[in-house]
Amino acid sequence: MLSYGRFVIAVSCVLLLVFAVLFVSPALCYNEHEAKAAVEATESKVSSCYGTVFEAEKAGANVSNLLSVLNEAGWFLSKAKLAYSQGDFDSAVAFADNCSSRLDGIVAQAESLKLDAERAGHWDFMVNFVGSAVGAVCVVVGGFAVWVFLKKREEIRERV
Amino acid sequence: MGVREYGLLYWVVVGVLALLVASPVLSRVLVYPRTEFFTELWLLDADHGARNYPFNITRNENYSIYLGIGNRLGYCAYYMVQVKFRNQTQPAPTSFGPIESRLPSSLPSLFNMTAFVADEQVLEIPITFSINYTLNEQFSEVELFSLRLNGVQLNMSDYTLSWDADGKAFRGFLFFELWLYNADTNSFKYHGRFVGLRFNMTVPV
Repeated sequence: MLSYGRFVIAVSCVLLLVFAVLFVSPALCYNEHEAKAAVEATESKVSSCYGTVFEAEKAGANVSNLLSVLNEAGWFLSKAKLAYSQGDFDSAVAFADNCSSRLDGIVAQAESLKLDAERAGHWDFMVNFVGSAVGAVCVVVGGFAVWVFLKKREEIRERV
Repeated sequence: MGVREYGLLYWVVVGVLALLVASPVLSRVLVYPRTEFFTELWLLDADHGARNYPFNITRNENYSIYLGIGNRLGYCAYYMVQVKFRNQTQPAPTSFGPIESRLPSSLPSLFNMTAFVADEQVLEIPITFSINYTLNEQFSEVELFSLRLNGVQLNMSDYTLSWDADGKAFRGFLFFELWLYNADTNSFKYHGRFVGLRFNMTVPV
């Protein structure tokens, strides 16, 4: 005969196993449809993030760090696709989640870099392009004015 | 001495000064625009050279190479590298004609690697691979089981290599095709470039 304590432990273990089978297992098993949806959503997220980084680079931002993150995420996406093609749907979802979590915040960073680059680009245009062109015109006009002034002064001296 | 005698010197000084002040504008306006946009793709051996590429392959032994991608497209590019393997009779990607009209191999890709490269930048991907295979003496062919590439196990159970009587070897080709993402169509298009390695699959006698 089992003692009361051992009986309680045995029943608890059985209940734990039953709960594990009923609740834990379904939560970790993904079917083909769920895995496909997860991989496609992640692929779409990668494309979307790339689009944002592309725009930031076009605005003149240094996107090297963001591309490193995208490359890391891309590796997980590749593994997710491979796992899906091999019928390992749990791994596919896990890799897709990993990829997705790597991409968190990248859009905000890219947009911030884009804004900074646009501001810097505007300032650079005003100083180096407009400022330089106006400065060159001023030098020529100023030079001409000084030349006319010096010539007139000399003419006045010659008359005197 | 009058001002007119120094006229030439004066205007030379003014001109040089104006050019100096205008140099930031001139450096932008007078730069010859880029007219060629392309991608470089290369393979290097384990020593970053082009001499000791893996050729005689031993079963389950690790080999290291470097796959390089140089982006000169004028924008940060999203590439996909398709890893493929073929024997002597299976189709290779086309190598002749205009690069835009070249075709990829019709073989299925074993693995797709993504690569994001900024404009005027280079990305080098270290690749370590090993191949698991066995000799089928009855049919005198090598049967491949799997390719392990950067820790990822790839199934190759459908692949066989027949004996090359001329070369006296079992020849296999591992190659990497470059595909480029097109944001307009939201899909990858073959970029007309591939690099590969030719193997002699050695079998213990």
